[in-house]
Amino acid sequence: MANGISNKSVVLSDIRKSYGGLEVIHGIDLTIEEGDFVVFVGPSGCGKSTLLRMIAGLEEVTEGEIAIKGRDVTDLDPSERGIAMVFQSYALYPHMSVSENLGFGLKMARTDPAEIERRVAQVSAILKIDHLLDRRPGQLSGGQRQRVAIGRAIVRKPDVFLFDEPLSNLDAELRVSMRIEIARLHRELGNTMVYVTHDQTEAMTLADQIVVLRDGRIEQAGSPRGVYEDPANMFVAGFIGSPRMNFLDAEWQGDGTIRVGEATLEAAIDGGSLKHGERLLLGVRPEHIAVAEPGPERITAQVEFSEYLGGTRYLYCQLEDGQSLVVEQRDGPDWQAGERLSFAVPEDRRRFFAEDGRRLR
Amino acid sequence: MRTRREIRARKALWDRIAYHGIGIGTAFFFLAPFAVSFLASFRPNSESGRPPLPPWPISGMSFDAYRALDSFGAGIWQHMFNSLLVSIGTVFLTVAVSVLAGYGFSRYRFPFKNALFVLIIATLMIPFQSILTPLFIILARLGLNNSLVGLMLVYVTLQLPFSVFMMRNAFDAVPKEIEEAARIDGARDLKLLVRVLLPLVMPGIATVSIFAFLNAWNEFFAALVLLSSNDNYTLPVLMTAVRAGRLGAINWGAVQAGVAVMVVPCLFVFLLLQRYYMRGLMAGAVK
Ligand SMILES: Nc1ncnc2c1ncn2[C@@H]1O[C@H](COP(=O)(O)OP(=O)(O)OP(=O)(O)O)[C@@H](O)[C@H]1O
Ligand SMILES: [Mg+2]
Repeated sequence: MANGISNKSVVLSDIRKSYGGLEVIHGIDLTIEEGDFVVFVGPSGCGKSTLLRMIAGLEEVTEGEIAIKGRDVTDLDPSERGIAMVFQSYALYPHMSVSENLGFGLKMARTDPAEIERRVAQVSAILKIDHLLDRRPGQLSGGQRQRVAIGRAIVRKPDVFLFDEPLSNLDAELRVSMRIEIARLHRELGNTMVYVTHDQTEAMTLADQIVVLRDGRIEQAGSPRGVYEDPANMFVAGFIGSPRMNFLDAEWQGDGTIRVGEATLEAAIDGGSLKHGERLLLGVRPEHIAVAEPGPERITAQVEFSEYLGGTRYLYCQLEDGQSLVVEQRDGPDWQAGERLSFAVPEDRRRFFAEDGRRLR
Repeated sequence: MRTRREIRARKALWDRIAYHGIGIGTAFFFLAPFAVSFLASFRPNSESGRPPLPPWPISGMSFDAYRALDSFGAGIWQHMFNSLLVSIGTVFLTVAVSVLAGYGFSRYRFPFKNALFVLIIATLMIPFQSILTPLFIILARLGLNNSLVGLMLVYVTLQLPFSVFMMRNAFDAVPKEIEEAARIDGARDLKLLVRVLLPLVMPGIATVSIFAFLNAWNEFFAALVLLSSNDNYTLPVLMTAVRAGRLGAINWGAVQAGVAVMVVPCLFVFLLLQRYYMRGLMAGAVK
C-alpha cells in the first residue's frame, strides 16, 4: 500500500474511557483499513459497545484520539464524522413512516427533496423494502425493521458503518439470512464496517479482521483464521471456537517433550525459559483429536457421555486425573459411556500455554 | 336435549347483556348530572324555583337563564374570556416549562439531580392555601395583584411539580437509542426535541395539558383572593356572585346556565386531547 494515510479508514490511538473514576477502556490502539469488515468480539461487559459508541461520537473519549479518513474526529458531533450506526434495538422513529425514517438524516442535512426521494427509492430497492415505504415501524416485522434500520444507515452514504449487535433480536433463521445480506452489502458498497457481536459464527463469517477484547484491552486482532489457528494467548484460544479448546495440564520434561497424564508428547516450543518439571497447558481443539490405537503418545480417557448433532458427535471424556476432554467425531462407531479410549493429537495441532495464559512458541 | 352450541350461544348472550347493561348503567350515573343541569338551564324564569325533577322545561324552552347569567358582572363573555386566557396561558406555560425540565431531569446528569427532583415533588405536599398569603404579597410587590397574568403565573407554579414529574416519566420511556440515532442523523438541540422527541412524549403532554387546563379553569380560591376587581373575575368566582343572587334570592336558573357554560370547554379540551392517551404509539420503535 503505497499511499499510507488514505488507506486507513479508522485509526484509534491510545483510546481510554472512564466512567467517574472507573476506567473501562484501557488504551486501545487499532488501525482499520479502508473497506475492511472489522468485528469486535469479547465477553459481556468487556467494552465492545463503549468502543463502538466512542467511534460514533455518542460517548465522549476520556483520552486518546480517533481519526476517520485521516481527519481527527475526536471532538466532532456524531453527524459530522461520516459514520452511520445500526442499533440492536433498531431505534426507528416510531412516529414516522419508513420513507420518512430513511430520509430523516438527509432532511436534517438540508438535502434537496428530489434527491432525498431518489436515494430513498434506491436504498429501499437494494434492501427490498420498497413496498413498505408508507408503513410505520410498528407495522413491520423484526426483520423488516432491521432492514429499515440498515437502510437508514446506507442512505447517508457514510464512510464507516457501525453495527452494535444488529441481529441479536432476530430469530435464528432470520439471523442467518440477514447475516448473508450484510455480507452482500459489504461486498457491494465496499465501505468500512465495524461490527459488534456475541455470535461466533457472525464474527467468523463476516470479518476481515477480528478484534478480541477483554476488560477494555485488545487481546488479539487478526484475520478469523489467524485468531482461530494461531491464538495469541489462552484467553483468545478459549474464547474463539465452540465447543471451546481443551486445555490439559502438562509438565515440561526438559527434553522437548511434555507429560500429559500417562502420555508423553513432543512439544515444538522453545523450552529455554522453562525449568524441568514446570507446569504448562496443552491446548487442543475438539476437532483435532482422533481416536487411535493405544501407545505411549496417546492420551487415554474414559467416555462420560456423547451428544449426537447430526453429522458430528461430541464425546465428553474424563482423563484419569479428572480433567475433562471434549472430542469431535465426524464418523466412526458409537462409543458407549464408560469405554476407555486412546486419543491422538497431531503434532502441528498442539498449542502450548504458560500457566499465566501466555502462548509458548 | 340442548346441544353444546345452544348452551354456548345462550351464555354468550347473557355475557353480552351483563356487559352492556353494566356499561349503560354506569354511564347513566356519570351522565345524569350533566343532563339535569343542561336541561334545567333551559327552563323559563317562572319555572326556575320548581323542584329539580323533572329537570326539563315544562312550558317550552327559554334562554331566560342565560340572559340572567349575562347580566352579572361584566357580562358572561368577558368572564369567559378571562377564564380562557388564564387557562390556556397556564397550559402553554406549564407545557413549555415542564417539557424542558422533564427532558433535563430525564437525560442530563448534574449534581443533586435526584435531590432537586424529590424537592420539586415534595412541594406537592404543601397545601397551596397555606402559601396564598406570601404569594399575594409577592404578586403585589411585582405589581401583578389583581391581574390575570399574575393569576396565571400562580397556577403555573402550582401545576409544575406534577407536570415535571409526568414529563420526566414520559421522557424516561423514550429509548435512548432513538435519540442517539437522531443525533447521528444530525438532529441537534431544539430540532431533536421538536422533530423526534415531542411526538413521542405527546401522551405526557396531553395529560399535563388536560390537568393544567381543568385545574386552572375550575380553580376558585386563589382567584377569589388574588382578583379584586369585578371585571377580572374568572368563571368560578363569577358563579359565587351569581349564586349569591340579588337581594338574597338565589337565581337557580342562572346557576344552572353557568354550570352548563363552564362544562362545555372542559369537555371540548378533553375530547380534543384524549386520543393522545391512546397507547401503542411507541410500538415498533425498539425490539
Ligand atoms: N454509563 C455507564 N456508567 C458506568 N459504567 C458503564 C456505563 N456504560 C458502560 N459501563 C461499563 O463499561 C463496561 C463496558 O460496557 P459495554 O456496554 O461497552 O460492554 P459490552 O462489551 O458492550 O457488553 P455486552 O456484550 O454485554 O453488550 C462495563 O463494565 C459496564 O459496566
Ligand atoms: Mg454491548
